[in-house]
Amino acid sequence: MAFPLPRGITPPEISFLAEMEMVTILPRQRLEGLELLSGPAEPLLPPRRTTLPLWLALLLKRQRRANILPPSWLHPESLSLILDIETQHHEYQHAFSPPPPLPGQPSLRDRGKRPVATPRYTPDGGRYFPAPPFLPQNVTQDHIAAGEPPSLPFHWLEVGTMLLDAASDDLVDPDQTRRLLKELREVRTAKIRSGVDVLDAAASGGGGVALTGVGAMEIGEGRGFISGVVDGLRKIGASKEQARREQMAEDMANGGYDATQDDEDDMEF
Amino acid sequence: MDIDDILASVDRNDASSPESAALDHQLLTRFWVAERGVSELLPWPGALMARITDRVRKQIETIEDLAASSADPHPPTNNPTLNLKLSILQTDLARTQYLIRSVLRQRLSKLTSHSMHYLLRIAPADPSQPTTQQPEDSIPDLASVTDPSPLSSQELAFLHAHQSLLAGHYGASFLSSFPPQLRRLDDNAGGTSMVQGPDAREVVFVRCLVDEVRVVVPPGDGVEVETFGTSMRIGDVWVVRWEGIRGAWERGDVEVL
Repeated sequence: MAFPLPRGITPPEISFLAEMEMVTILPRQRLEGLELLSGPAEPLLPPRRTTLPLWLALLLKRQRRANILPPSWLHPESLSLILDIETQHHEYQHAFSPPPPLPGQPSLRDRGKRPVATPRYTPDGGRYFPAPPFLPQNVTQDHIAAGEPPSLPFHWLEVGTMLLDAASDDLVDPDQTRRLLKELREVRTAKIRSGVDVLDAAASGGGGVALTGVGAMEIGEGRGFISGVVDGLRKIGASKEQARREQMAEDMANGGYDATQDDEDDMEF
Repeated sequence: MDIDDILASVDRNDASSPESAALDHQLLTRFWVAERGVSELLPWPGALMARITDRVRKQIETIEDLAASSADPHPPTNNPTLNLKLSILQTDLARTQYLIRSVLRQRLSKLTSHSMHYLLRIAPADPSQPTTQQPEDSIPDLASVTDPSPLSSQELAFLHAHQSLLAGHYGASFLSSFPPQLRRLDDNAGGTSMVQGPDAREVVFVRCLVDEVRVVVPPGDGVEVETFGTSMRIGDVWVVRWEGIRGAWERGDVEVL
């Protein structure tokens, strides 16, 4: 009544979120800097590049006041490389290609390194770690580290589609890009579908299913199905889980319980 | 005092700076996504909302001033970008207002669907005096409530009024024809409580933001201590039970997607 939408953000809300991603633009006219509620917007001084939220970049683009510089992953070459990883790579046969690392997360090359996530602090004293859409995953980088494979950012489908819609003249070979995006989408949707078998793991207490590398819109599409299946399985298995817990309580009372055992039980499910 | 505290105090000092506006915007966005994704009502971020509504009010004043100057037929300085500027500011304002509205409506919807649960959570029923048996009597007295968490005080007032009306309506329309002992809305005869709450075992999609987060299994079913399940690594996206990562969410170690 007060709110008709289902739980979990819906696809239109995900696009709204994706419009907060920062992109690089090349302004065609001057405009002074603005104090927006979503943070300060830098002044536009052609021909200097500026980084703006996607919604603002699209607003300027539609009025022909700026050109959008496509992010490096939205290039036929990068996309076909990612498609290769998704389809050919043995390691990623059932998983998504790795996402761009979060700040502090070691990149794929130095996998052995320990992650060092440094938080910012909120005015209320809480810790805050930035995450997409508030990371510069879609801005144009001048220097791409050598040997760094391209990766799909969290909002790849939405940003890609919006740029193809509104700024296809700024992209390199938009038709090829569109085709590759479609292929990527199909490959990845098939992976989600084949992953249904392991959903049982999320239905038990303490268990979960990893979807690392998934895109925001892919979550949005799968959310109803995945949470429905997991919640259904949980209800079916409720009495079994309760029995297992009671067994565990008994073992603990007898003094021979080790938390890691439970861990393995969960995975066998 | 360690380095983290020093950094925190530096970050906290500039509440009016543009950078803190950006940070608050990110916090509001993250809170909105979480509130939309989780089955139970999240704690009301009072300080954050106060800062944001304050900024929204100031921004509306700025926009009105700009609009007034553009309506002036004889502008002293002709500013060609004024209309563009206005439309950008208004779009930005509308986007922020949408976020606030969506958060509030989602919270209202959670409140109304489990109204008794939240009322009893804030003001536990007094078991000593089950004197009268009218539907209205099951609504707890809020006079002694000092901390309305997880609700805001306005939400609590709304919830109380809503539930009083609802109880009166139920009483007038059908409960008055029931035997007196069956008229209460918080009946728990036979060990089964009538009051239903949100299901904390429903799954959510989360992203791990720190080195490692372990999924917890809260005590229950005879096991008195918390046990740990699988562990998530930084950057991972998982489908897990909300009750398993609620603590990590409160610490800011995971975000709901």
